[in-house]
Formats: sequence, structure tokens, C-alpha cells
Amino acid sequence: MTIRTRLTFWYAGILMLSLLVIGYGTYQEISEQLRRDHRRRPDDHALDETGEMICWVGLPAVGFGLLGGWWLTRRALAPVARLMAAAEKIHEHNLRTPLINSGSGDELDRLTEVFNAMTARLDGSFTRIREFTLHASHELKTPLTILCGETETALRDESLSPAEHDRAVSQLDELRRLARIVDGLTLLAKADAGQIILARETVRLDELIRDNYADTLILAEPQDLQVELNLGDPVNVCGDRHRLRQLLLNLTDNAVKYNRPGGTVQMALRREGGTAEYTIANTGPGIPPETLPRIFDRFFRGKHAQVGIVEGCGLGLSIAQWIVTAHGGKIQIASEPSILTIVTVQIPVFDADPKSA
Amino acid sequence: MRVLIVEDEKKTASFIRKALQTEGFAVDICHTGEEGLAAAQNTPFDAVVLDIMLPGRDGLSVLARLRALKLQTPVLLLSARGEVNERVAGLNAGADDYLPKPFELVELVARVRALTRRSVENKATVLRVADLRLDTLTRLVQRGGTEVQLTAREYRLLEFLMRSTNRLCGRMMIIEKVWDYDFDPGTNLVDVYIRRLREKIDAQFEPKLLHTVRGAGYLIKEPA
Repeated sequence: MTIRTRLTFWYAGILMLSLLVIGYGTYQEISEQLRRDHRRRPDDHALDETGEMICWVGLPAVGFGLLGGWWLTRRALAPVARLMAAAEKIHEHNLRTPLINSGSGDELDRLTEVFNAMTARLDGSFTRIREFTLHASHELKTPLTILCGETETALRDESLSPAEHDRAVSQLDELRRLARIVDGLTLLAKADAGQIILARETVRLDELIRDNYADTLILAEPQDLQVELNLGDPVNVCGDRHRLRQLLLNLTDNAVKYNRPGGTVQMALRREGGTAEYTIANTGPGIPPETLPRIFDRFFRGKHAQVGIVEGCGLGLSIAQWIVTAHGGKIQIASEPSILTIVTVQIPVFDADPKSA
Repeated sequence: MRVLIVEDEKKTASFIRKALQTEGFAVDICHTGEEGLAAAQNTPFDAVVLDIMLPGRDGLSVLARLRALKLQTPVLLLSARGEVNERVAGLNAGADDYLPKPFELVELVARVRALTRRSVENKATVLRVADLRLDTLTRLVQRGGTEVQLTAREYRLLEFLMRSTNRLCGRMMIIEKVWDYDFDPGTNLVDVYIRRLREKIDAQFEPKLLHTVRGAGYLIKEPA
């Protein structure tokens, strides 16, 4: 039962009780007076009339009481409803937007202030975590640069034995992997802090996909995968060319890496009204339903990745998701394990260019 | 050729110097922005390798000051911040190239060399290395008089390598110029394309022109 209903019933109940008390009092008073005035037994008829009158006036009064109470509590609770609606919109990225005070200085304003103080504290924590990640990735870069540089310098030493040389090459590979992880972390930390401005321009999404298809064919060769491309009409989006290329490569890279030998990769682009819908499907082992909700989490790896079959930095899908969101789009993954895993990306179409309209 | 390195991290400055010296450059090192600015004003360097994060006056400010003084020495910016927008900001401030840290040494050397040779850039429309011929107008590629069929990407890769004949090209430089990526894709795309290109232009021919330097990069070399 909502506060509003409860208050209304209380209100009506109190009204009813006071009516009964007043009615009973009046009844007693009237009968006393009648007895005194006429010095005879109270006039039952007059008393009945009084009772009826109390009924006729009382019941509608209770009815009005119910309605009035309903209205009154709605008025009284409206700021709570507003507060609720505003609080519902709060998420990790807009903690700095305070809830609006009514300015009347009442209890609800106090509540709003308490809410705002709480979100400010949360915002502080989030900011500290973000800054930590950002600083950590910066700080890691200097030693990484030195390690990479010195290993590379060592590689040029011609007196290295073949075994030493191989070891240095392997170390350099790992250092570069580490560097990519740090790069990914920096990118995401900056994105979280809202510090990345997309270099937006009109981009032919279909052309980027065709380019990406050529690379996919090459990447798919060792596993003997069949790659299919289904491009519709030209589609323009307003986006950052580099980030969109990164998105496409991340997705095809996954579709190839997590596929089964001899499987297929299907890429398709179509236009759905104002939305460009790109899908990429693969026939790999797929993602079990219980891990699907976590698939975009940073460093989350499915069980195939965990056992080390597949190499990667663990940030690919998180980065893909950020790129799509930054372009005002949506990304989803549906998977039927061992049959088909489909990634769907939806990005708003941009039609300002008259040539493509 | 004389290059100035402005980098506060001494170890980094030291291995950059070593790499550039091996390639025949004369190298000066400064550890602060002020020193770097003074050195660049007093000595006509052929290129400056400038770190953005420096104590005191930072790299971008040094660059802005140099350009304000009408000094057009080519500048390669280094940055550990690796912001996506920083490349654009750096190039807008007058830098000629930008390399995020951690970088591959071979990339740095290749870029410095490209900067110092900018004036004599290869603008020819027909490129030739031994009996390999690439016509940029007709997009026709021939080896020993036989036409070689290349995909669009293979063609772009070959053109890029031929324009830098005899010079080692780093993986990231190729990724940037041929793939138009400004990020490290972390795949073996370049290796695979090089292998395919080699099959097409080198496998049935002698001498071999396309070389891989393990852990460093690739180059097309004119046979001795």
C-alpha cells in the first residue's frame, strides 16, 4: 500500500471518528434539551430525524474527506515523486548534476540535500578511481618505454646468440602486449572521465566495412574460415573514422579468434530507417547465457580465453562498447552456443550529405 | 645530420641517442624544455625529437615558441599521455609527426629519417627497384616484365615500401600509413600481408627484394 493510500484512509478514518463523536454529542445534547423543554419522554421522531441528518451529511462528508485526502497527500508527496524521478536518472556519469531543491526549506529539501551530499561523495570516489587508473596507466608508460627501448637496443647487438635473440624477441612481444593493455586502459579511463572528443566527420560506413572485410579474409585464412559480406546501399554516419575502424577490427578479430576451424563469419550492413545496423556473426563455441551479461566488462574473459587458447588484451569488447556508445549507438550480443554468435551494432545514420541522400 | 633530443627521462634519451647514432646521426640531448628551446634556437638541427611532458616548460609550449620564432626545424613529438586528441593538437601546434609512448625504436628512427628527408621526398609516379616496377597512375605492378595482380591493400603496402626503398619501416608506421589506423591493432595483419606480398613479388623471382628484420620492421632493398 502506498503512503498516499495509507494517509488517505487515515484521514478519512479520523474524519469519520470525529463525525461520530460530534454526532453522538449532538444526539445527547438534543435529547437532553427535548426532555427539559417538554418535560416528557424524548420525541423519538425528532431524534430519528437527527440521526438521519447526521447520516446524510456525514457520509458525503466522509466521501469528500476521502477525495480531499487523496488530493492533499498527492500535493504533499509530489516533491517526493519528483525527487524519485530525478534520482532514478542518476548514474555513474552524471553524479555531478545535483537534484533540484524546491527552495521552501522543508523536510523534503533537507532530504534532497542529503541525497546531493551522498552523490557528491560517490562522485568523489568515482573520480578518485578514474584518476587512479589514468595516473597508473601514465606512470606505467615511462618504464614500459624504457623496457621496450632497451630490449630493442639489445636485439641489435650482433653478438647475441640465437637463443638469447629469441628470448629478447619473445620479451619484446610480451612488452608490446603489455603496452597495448596500458593503451586500452588509458583510452577507457579517459573515456570514463569524458576527456575524449571524437574527431567527427561524415564517414561512409559501408566503405570502412569493405576495407575491414579485406582484412578479415586475410585474418581468417589460417583457420580456413569462410567470410561472407552483405553490404546494402551506401550508408553515411557522422563519426570518428579511426575509432570506427578500431571498432570493426575489434569485432572481426573476435569473430575470427573465437571461431571453430572451417567455420564462417558473416558480416552485414543494412539500413533500418534512421539507423545503420551492422551485424557480424560467427560459428564459434559462443557464449553461455550466464556469462553473456558480463561480456562487455573490462578484463572479462570467457572460458576459452581463460585457458590461454586465444591471445588478446581483454579490453576489446569494452572498447568496442565505448566506441558505439560514444557514437550514440547500441551494441548487443546474442549467442546460441556452438551454433551462432551475433554481434549487432546500431549507429544513427547521418544524411547531411546530399550526394548520398 | 644532427638531431636534438629533448627528453627528461635519462634512460629513454640514452637509448634513443644510441639508436640514432647507429644510423649515423649526430645527437644532442637536453633534459628540460628551457634548455631544449635554447639549443634549438642556437644550433641549426635537422630534426628535433621533443617529449611533451617535461619539467618546467612543456613540449607543446617549446614547439609553439619555436614556430613563433619562425624556426621550421622538423619536430617529432613524443608523448606518454597517448590521448587520442593529442596527436591532432600536436600537429596543429606545428609538429611534423607524433609518436605515442611506448614506441618501437625502429619506428622512431624511421620517422626521424623521414623528417630529415622530407625535402627530397620521392614524388615519382613510376617506382622502380631492380626489375620490380610500380606505376602509380595505372596501378600496374610488374616484376621482370610480368604483371603482378595485387589487392588494393597489397598495392598500397607495396607503394609505401617502395617509396621508402632501402629504409626500414616499422610496423606502426605501416599500420598508420597503409591501414589508416591510429592505434595498435594488436593483430598480425602486417606480417600476413608482407608474407602474401612476398609470395607475389619475390617467390618466383631473384634476387629477393622484400626483407623482414625480426623484431624491427620491413624493407624493400635494392640488391647490391
